[in-house]
Amino acid sequence: MEYIVSLLVLAGLYVILSSSFNLIIGYCGLMSVAHPIFFAFGAYTAGLLAIHADINPVLAVLAGGLVAVVMSTMISLPSLRISGDYLMITSIGFQLAFLEVIKNIDAVGGGSGLSNIPNTISGDGRSATFAVLACGTALLVVLLIRWLVNGPYGRVITAMRDDELAFAAIGRNAMRIKVSIFAIGSGIAGIAGGIYAYYYQYLTPEKFAVHETTAILTMVVVGGMGSVWGPAVGAVLLLALPQLITFVNLPEGLMASLQSMIFSSLVLLFLFLRPQGLFGPTKRG
Amino acid sequence: MGEASVVVQICWTALSTAIPMILFAVAFSLVLKVVKIWNFAQAGFMAVAFYAMYATYNLLQWPMWLAVLIGLALTLIASLTLEPFGLDVLRRRKSPHLTYFILTLVMSLFLAAFLSMLFGTEPVPLTPEIMSPVKIVGSIVMSHWDLRAIAVGVVLLLLLHQFIIRTRDGQYMLAVADNAELAELYGISAKRTRIVTFFAASIFITAGMWLAGTRGAINAHMPLQMLIFAVVATLLGGTGGIFTSALAAAILSLIQALSVLVIPSQWQGFVLYVFLFVTILFFPKGFNVRNLKLAAILGKSARVMRAGQG
Repeated sequence: MEYIVSLLVLAGLYVILSSSFNLIIGYCGLMSVAHPIFFAFGAYTAGLLAIHADINPVLAVLAGGLVAVVMSTMISLPSLRISGDYLMITSIGFQLAFLEVIKNIDAVGGGSGLSNIPNTISGDGRSATFAVLACGTALLVVLLIRWLVNGPYGRVITAMRDDELAFAAIGRNAMRIKVSIFAIGSGIAGIAGGIYAYYYQYLTPEKFAVHETTAILTMVVVGGMGSVWGPAVGAVLLLALPQLITFVNLPEGLMASLQSMIFSSLVLLFLFLRPQGLFGPTKRG
Repeated sequence: MGEASVVVQICWTALSTAIPMILFAVAFSLVLKVVKIWNFAQAGFMAVAFYAMYATYNLLQWPMWLAVLIGLALTLIASLTLEPFGLDVLRRRKSPHLTYFILTLVMSLFLAAFLSMLFGTEPVPLTPEIMSPVKIVGSIVMSHWDLRAIAVGVVLLLLLHQFIIRTRDGQYMLAVADNAELAELYGISAKRTRIVTFFAASIFITAGMWLAGTRGAINAHMPLQMLIFAVVATLLGGTGGIFTSALAAAILSLIQALSVLVIPSQWQGFVLYVFLFVTILFFPKGFNVRNLKLAAILGKSARVMRAGQG
């Protein structure tokens, strides 16, 4: 039972991550691979605040989201000024650079990870409380994104994504929209990171590496880019998949490779056979 | 005097170790110039080249020249699979840029994961012995590997230069890079030219991985980090500038190596990312000498004007 509840926590967190990534990649058409590093910013900020500042956990999680917003703006402003292609390149560099930084700074735990994050909820109901918190936040995030994309702002985002030149010709500032969507998506990932830090009480840089990008990207592509519920369903489906391959009983390193191989082949298959994903709108290449 | 020889030694070692990176940067910028894609799948091709050579030389115990040929053949097969079965399909569908990015990046991650499954995640060298004999010229230590790397780099760059300016296929590459649709109107097959480009890129990738693998241990995930170096060099050299990317890679490697004089060695890798951000912030169109001259002339005129007003 405890195992299922812990899976629910993870499902909630991945729904938050995939939905926020979908906002960036699916609705706004921005390609970034650095989503896990914003997740990391949230996790490390909340973890460090919990260890050193004894701050209210809700505030620590929100601070994690805020740090992710600030960092995302720092990379999107200079790169989007030139073109969307540069955001992709900057995001890869940003992800690898900050993983390097985390591994080399002892104050954040270095390569061995950040441990001793205090337990905020103790007792038998700990995992269940976190499951409710993660799934509740996930539902809120999906509803927030639905509200955002179905309203006037959503139409602005779609117009910009579909024809940026025409969008600029009617006097709208595409850059501002892109930077703000990127910041919102990254901030939500930061909040997921904060919850992750409080639940697992231990953070390791490997958790936020490039294979995590593949996992989140697969959830979005399989579920359907540009659909509200698709990435959420994709997250749940793809979270169940690794549980099925645990019976192979491979060493941990190889298990990560097998998982990464399955995820990347799913993306390739969907990209060619069903580019709209399971629930995405049609007419997307 | 002692310090000067240390600096010269660092520069020499940096230059020789930069050769694989220069070759990767040339392959990357060549594909970007002609095929017009940021080919992140190159990291996967680099891993394929390395492990093909590793398996042939270490597991089958075949000679190294054959290992290099098999490495080249498999890299070429991987590249040529990408063009007709991947990129061409997306071109016909008129897919957005985003889809190309996802395809090349995910293909690279797929190949890395697949090769990790086959060969494990521990880094391995191409040859059991990675130390090579050394010569001392003046006060500079030059290893046989250094000399071999520089020779391979110079020969390949010269061959590519001659290929582009002297052969019909090379001229076609320039034409397709300039305007693929117009080139097709003049009877040039853009498809064939792209295949030739991937073939040339595969030679550079295989040679680079052969050099890198005979110098140190590599695993399937390391090529992506190596590729970032090539991407930064391509950006610095000006996107599409093949030989300026090579020059940028050499300079970048030199700066990275010299950085050990002022920062701790564990932060040496970080210098590359600093360059990435500086390039995107200040030199998004590459580091152009003509722009610098123009800036100098404008600066001089501004100073003259201020002096005149004073």
